[in-house]
Amino acid sequence: MAEDEAMFDPTLKKKKKKKKTTFDIEAALAEGSISEVGNGDVEGKDDDPKQKDEEADEVDLDLDFTKKKKKKKKPFSTEELDAALNDINTENANETVNMEDGDDNFDMDMLDFSKMKKKKKKKDLDDIMAEGDEKEDKENVEVNTNEWSGSDRDYTYDELLNRAFEIMRDKNPDMAAGKKQKFVMRPPQVVRIGTKKTSFANFTEICRMLHRQPKHLLDFLLAELGTSGSVDGNSQLIIKGRFQQKQIENVLRRYIKEYVTCHTCRSPDTILQKDTRLFFLQCETCGSRCSVASIKLGFQAVTAKRAAIRAKTA
Amino acid sequence: MSIQNLNTFDPFADASKGADDDVQDGLVHIRIQQRNGRKTLTTVQGLSSEYDLKKIVRACKKEFACNGTVIEHPEYGEVLQLQGDQRENICQWLTKAGLAKPDQLKVHGF
Ligand SMILES: [Zn+2]
Repeated sequence: MAEDEAMFDPTLKKKKKKKKTTFDIEAALAEGSISEVGNGDVEGKDDDPKQKDEEADEVDLDLDFTKKKKKKKKPFSTEELDAALNDINTENANETVNMEDGDDNFDMDMLDFSKMKKKKKKKDLDDIMAEGDEKEDKENVEVNTNEWSGSDRDYTYDELLNRAFEIMRDKNPDMAAGKKQKFVMRPPQVVRIGTKKTSFANFTEICRMLHRQPKHLLDFLLAELGTSGSVDGNSQLIIKGRFQQKQIENVLRRYIKEYVTCHTCRSPDTILQKDTRLFFLQCETCGSRCSVASIKLGFQAVTAKRAAIRAKTA
Repeated sequence: MSIQNLNTFDPFADASKGADDDVQDGLVHIRIQQRNGRKTLTTVQGLSSEYDLKKIVRACKKEFACNGTVIEHPEYGEVLQLQGDQRENICQWLTKAGLAKPDQLKVHGF
């Protein structure tokens, strides 16, 4: 868990940075919401106190008569909670990496997750403020989900939501666990060669991870970057022009979104098939099959020295 | 090799050309290309031929303080070409001027 998180943190941060420095309308629009959530996830630990305070007040009002139970919960330590939060964060991160440009219902999911997290957090704070006695902490999850069961107060939306997710996770342990490993994306290793070329050192490795033909990814990269390049003997990709890691990462992300993750369920477990001039993405998880945009070079401006071209053609 | 070359060819280019001369897929493709050194070039492909591209380029040059030109391409029609990375500028400008909707703009590059 902790490892996963460690792996993801940089990506999330990078994404945030990238959002500022590069421009991509689609990505910017779609990523906006996710990045916000992402921020929350990553920095939530520092940012939330105010919110927690407010919410803590509310909770005090609401839960006057559940104080007993709260005491039971006090025991669990901040670390435990962090671990629990990490769980959720990692899941979020997983999804984020894949489906950066997720659509509405994905955003909904993310929001839901963040709500859940907030809720747990405010309990955390409650517990700290009520200064914890040291007891065992196993029961916290069940208590969280059934907080209202002993009382006759109305359950809150958050509690219900929490409960639904807990049940879902309990019943499908492999659903969450299975996804996690697959979604680890290694960042591209990008090194400048001289002043005019760039090496994408782990290009072949990334192709293998994505289960895509190197040629396909190559075509996409070159078309997007508007340049030329080829794979050399050491299986690294040499691209003409100067590119930074985050720029390549940006393009990779778009590739994954269009050609790797299922457009319906976003599972990366897909097969790209060519069928009558068009590429189709067949999902192994949900069975959906849809055509994907063909890679087009489009208009290419003449950037080479015209004299050189004239010399070549003449 | 030959198969891959086919990939860059839009199979529906001819079909959509019949219906609408200048727009291959109804999208305005905004691309960036590196030139020598740190110099870059922005190209805008797929603007409707109903627009006077010369007027547009004149306005853009003034607005973004960059040079620009209109290039006539046999396959892609008239293409706008601007100096520097004007992708953000041109997106905003096209949207503001009502020449294209934000979802019609397809920004390529890094
Ligand atoms: Zn699917």
